Amino acid sequence: MAQGDNPHDLGEAEFRATVHSFEFWFEAVEGYLHGRPYGVSPGLQDIELSERQRQGLITTLCNYCVGETAALDASSGMIGFAPDRGAKIFLATQVVDEGRHLEVLLHRMKQLGVADPDAEIAQRANRSLLKFKDRLLDFVDARDWEASVFAQNVILECLEFTVFRHHAGTADPATAEMLRGIVSDERRHMGFGENDLGRRLLTAPHTHDRLRKIKRELDLLVLDAFAETMGELAIERDDRPDLAGDYLAAVARLGFGA
Amino acid sequence: MADFLSNYSIQKWLESCPQGYLEDTVYGHGADEREPEDLLQNEAYREQQIRTTVQLIAGERCALAASSGLVNAAPDQASKTFLATQTLDEGRHVEIFTQRLYDLGVKPIDLESTIKAYVNPHLGKFAEVLLEKIDKKDFVAGVVGQNIVLEGMAFSVFEMLHAGAETSNPKFARTLSGTIADERRHVGFGENRIGELIRRYPEKKPEVQRMQRDMTKHMLATFHEAFARNGGPTEARASPPQKGKPGPTYQGLNLAEASNEDMEEALSATVLKEFKTRLGRIGLDYQSPV
Repeated sequence: MAQGDNPHDLGEAEFRATVHSFEFWFEAVEGYLHGRPYGVSPGLQDIELSERQRQGLITTLCNYCVGETAALDASSGMIGFAPDRGAKIFLATQVVDEGRHLEVLLHRMKQLGVADPDAEIAQRANRSLLKFKDRLLDFVDARDWEASVFAQNVILECLEFTVFRHHAGTADPATAEMLRGIVSDERRHMGFGENDLGRRLLTAPHTHDRLRKIKRELDLLVLDAFAETMGELAIERDDRPDLAGDYLAAVARLGFGA
Repeated sequence: MADFLSNYSIQKWLESCPQGYLEDTVYGHGADEREPEDLLQNEAYREQQIRTTVQLIAGERCALAASSGLVNAAPDQASKTFLATQTLDEGRHVEIFTQRLYDLGVKPIDLESTIKAYVNPHLGKFAEVLLEKIDKKDFVAGVVGQNIVLEGMAFSVFEMLHAGAETSNPKFARTLSGTIADERRHVGFGENRIGELIRRYPEKKPEVQRMQRDMTKHMLATFHEAFARNGGPTEARASPPQKGKPGPTYQGLNLAEASNEDMEEALSATVLKEFKTRLGRIGLDYQSPV
């Protein structure tokens, strides 16, 4: 695709062939990753965090790692049963995105003085998020394409999109810039889920009922994860952002409302 | 281990691959490079190139399935992130060789039927042996099969094709040079990571060596069919053997005047020598399929 061309002007088949390609992925990420090792501009000044802030951020990053590991394991596993070449190649780009997210989060944890990130993650991981990860990987192990795309590219990506966007608004400069790069990737992943499932729902409307049931089950885990994280971070009830409302709105925008 | 694996991070991959040797390429070649006109006008030669490219796509599809399947089986975070980069490398290879089929005149609607018509059945069996280990989430066997055997074979095949295309088809040669650079990284990871795991789990050796023997058998059959069955000009050459003419060389062999048998022998000997060296480095003995 020539630079400046709008893929939305293309026919459906050509649109999918274009956006599900290494070329498209590289043009997309180059803009916000070039010159930013580990997602952060080299000249950006790190600010001093209090011990309470540092511990809170480490706990948050540990939970982000759980989500990104789930996404890495799921997206790589889905390549084996993706329905066509375009979907396989898109998922290959998503695998490297998710791997990069995990890498930058672990790098940030090391900057915060965490010597053994795996041990910290095991100790601080949110139980609801771990359950969500297990459920997502159940769908992948069962080679259930619709459930896997829905759980990963709609629910998990909307969850991460909501949380990272909020956090980027209040975080220290280095963490904020790193999160904004991740959010840019999540938009692309959500677009894939919306496009793939949207086309399927047109030809198989009964799928909607099945996805609604999955959504009800996973929403509980997502909302529990929000509540647990807020509690761990000791954020006062009145100061808490409406993550649940924003998450449900993001999912609804993709066509999967209550 | 941590220091070695830090050389295979996604950050390093971004800087060396997409922002390095792939910078300013489109589908792996220069934006203004095209397949040579004499190739497109010569039906027999075009068909031969389609056949060759189909084998590359089949091999890369296997590598994509294998590397993505290994992410979930990887025992540590750093191996997972390296395999994430390998997954995208293999996805890119599928994409660029598929694009080459289109450049050779295959219509997108005929892609799968073309692959089915031309794919070498021995290559399918080669892939089955590897993917069986991947399905069982056997990380050690999977990495040996993928990053030593499959990548070792691909590396040598690409080098031979590159030698043949360097002067006659700069576009294809450029595409191949990017994939060769990727394969070099993948083989390096396999050697470094698996050596340590083989030392830790010596009981895995017999099973892994059996897999290597079976894959080698199917690989040699693939080469034999590719060189013998075509009968006409060999896959790495643009025209029939021409005695006394200088031409591209591969392992000391003049590709312009070599017979199909000479070329098969040169390729097989090169790959097997590589296998022996690389398997030796990770503490395994090469098993001959004969």
